[in-house]
Amino acid sequence: MAGDFKKILSCKATYWVKIWRPDIRGVRMALFGLLLFLTIFILAAFSDLFAPHDPWNRFEPFLAPCREHILGTNDLGNDILSELIYGSRVSLIVGFGAALMATLIGTLIGLLAGYFRGLIDEILMGITDVFLMIPQIPLIIILAAFLRPSFWLVALIMGALWWTSTARVVRSKAMQIRETSFIECSRSLGFSHTHIIFSDILPNILHVIMPKFLLTIASAMISEASISFLGLGDPTMKSWGMMINFAFTRGGFINGYWWWYMPPGLCITLSVLSLVLVGFSLEEHEEETMRIE
Amino acid sequence: MTLSGKKAIRYLLAIILIFSLNFAIPRAMPGDPLANLLGEDVMLTEESIVELRAKMGLDLPLHQQFLNYWSDVIRFDLGYSYHLHSPVCAIILSRMKWTLLLAVPSLVLGAVLGTLLGALAGWKSREACQKFETGLVLMIYCTPPYFLSLLSLYALSFKLGLFPLKGFYSTGSALDIAHHLLLPVVVMTLFSLSRNYMIMRGSVIQERGNLYATYARAKGLYGEEILFRHVFKNAILPIITLLALDFGFILSGALFIEIVFSMNGMGNLIYDALLSRDYPVLQGSFLVITIMVVSANLLADLLYSHIDPRVRWQ
Repeated sequence: MAGDFKKILSCKATYWVKIWRPDIRGVRMALFGLLLFLTIFILAAFSDLFAPHDPWNRFEPFLAPCREHILGTNDLGNDILSELIYGSRVSLIVGFGAALMATLIGTLIGLLAGYFRGLIDEILMGITDVFLMIPQIPLIIILAAFLRPSFWLVALIMGALWWTSTARVVRSKAMQIRETSFIECSRSLGFSHTHIIFSDILPNILHVIMPKFLLTIASAMISEASISFLGLGDPTMKSWGMMINFAFTRGGFINGYWWWYMPPGLCITLSVLSLVLVGFSLEEHEEETMRIE
Repeated sequence: MTLSGKKAIRYLLAIILIFSLNFAIPRAMPGDPLANLLGEDVMLTEESIVELRAKMGLDLPLHQQFLNYWSDVIRFDLGYSYHLHSPVCAIILSRMKWTLLLAVPSLVLGAVLGTLLGALAGWKSREACQKFETGLVLMIYCTPPYFLSLLSLYALSFKLGLFPLKGFYSTGSALDIAHHLLLPVVVMTLFSLSRNYMIMRGSVIQERGNLYATYARAKGLYGEEILFRHVFKNAILPIITLLALDFGFILSGALFIEIVFSMNGMGNLIYDALLSRDYPVLQGSFLVITIMVVSANLLADLLYSHIDPRVRWQ
């Protein structure tokens, strides 16, 4: 009896309560990741408040860290700390833009394939398999080489390519939920397919989509940094990858100016780490609850 | 339709789609298609533009161009690089072997070490030592490949002088090549390891909760024996398909690492082509990389159906 009651309660628990239930193993890691991410987010949102100088302003070049310029200046005399703070914007915009687009496409395709099955499933999953095999970084390099590099373009291409794994996960989950009795119930009550897909199935797979979304942001951020490192980044914006590229090509490494190349590299790693920590612990938690059920 | 038939159609579609994309990109992009196909730093007179346009068939209707493109591709004619003064196919073939020399050992080492360490980490995921190891691997997982290679190049080669600073070889003997390759291969292996490690760890954590693992314990088997006799076989299945997809990732990673270590493989070829806007080389490289990734997937599919009887019986 008590067990039944508990089961009903846990079924009623909404998505957010499920995530923040305090008994998650590794919740500390998730919290740490979240805090780290919030810090970076606030830095990006209020760059002009935090940055000590305008990142385009020119001071004396190649300054070592000092009181006025905490991380010194680069070859053009730009203040590196300010560049670093402004650089978080591109990373976050590209990451979020690409991941949002990828998640929307992936969720839609996964839902349709998993709900309708049959021919639609075959076709959509065929397309997914084809997209999965396109080498993404080389394609982005080619497109960015032909077009004028801009961070919108990079985000758009990544979003258009990276929906595949989300689609696969959503599909398998949608196939499971499709067979449950409450969907059968909705169907016999005469609800339309659109209503069943978006009001009955979608809310029940949000908890699978969320970690995928976070992990997609993380990989988009790494790729953006790699593409800017090749010099294909947006020349009108400061980005971490581009800072490392300049340090690499303009003598920062040879002269051992660690304050030039270390901070952007660490920033990329930390921001990716923050998202991956939250994403992984959500996924792990998801697997554990599945087993209990 | 049988499963393999369906798969074959998908591979064929992938190849056709990617090759068509390659046909469409230079023609759809802003600017003159001739410039897009030749590269931007080629200087031409008025007569030679007309002549080249006719020679490359750019004045033909689009569907005719498309057919010509396919007949070229089937004959391995990927165009001519006016920047490097040689056929693209020959350039890529001469560079590709070096990139493979870097990528394949890293892929294999990363797969073996990653699955083994990942399996152990998943099996004993609650021990403090394993948690530390997982954290370390997670850090590598989150670092862009080129950044770690820059750091290791700076610390080990530049400061300590343990490894050569650049290139694939200086004298050309096998030992010399191995000495040059060691550091890049170690860095690449770390990356491929970190991906396999995380997947294998999750997979083992999932599998060890199953009843057959409990049964094996009840039968009297001990810790690692259960892992390697029973759990490992089931947990490794997702790795095999991922390994093929990872091949694309490793190749792209190798491109960046080559740039950092100044090695004359595909990575530097693409980088130089990018700087000089040498489009034929860029496109040819993209095609060759795609073909390799698709064939790796095909191989993995065949292997998978050979290993997993559930797939074979479908």
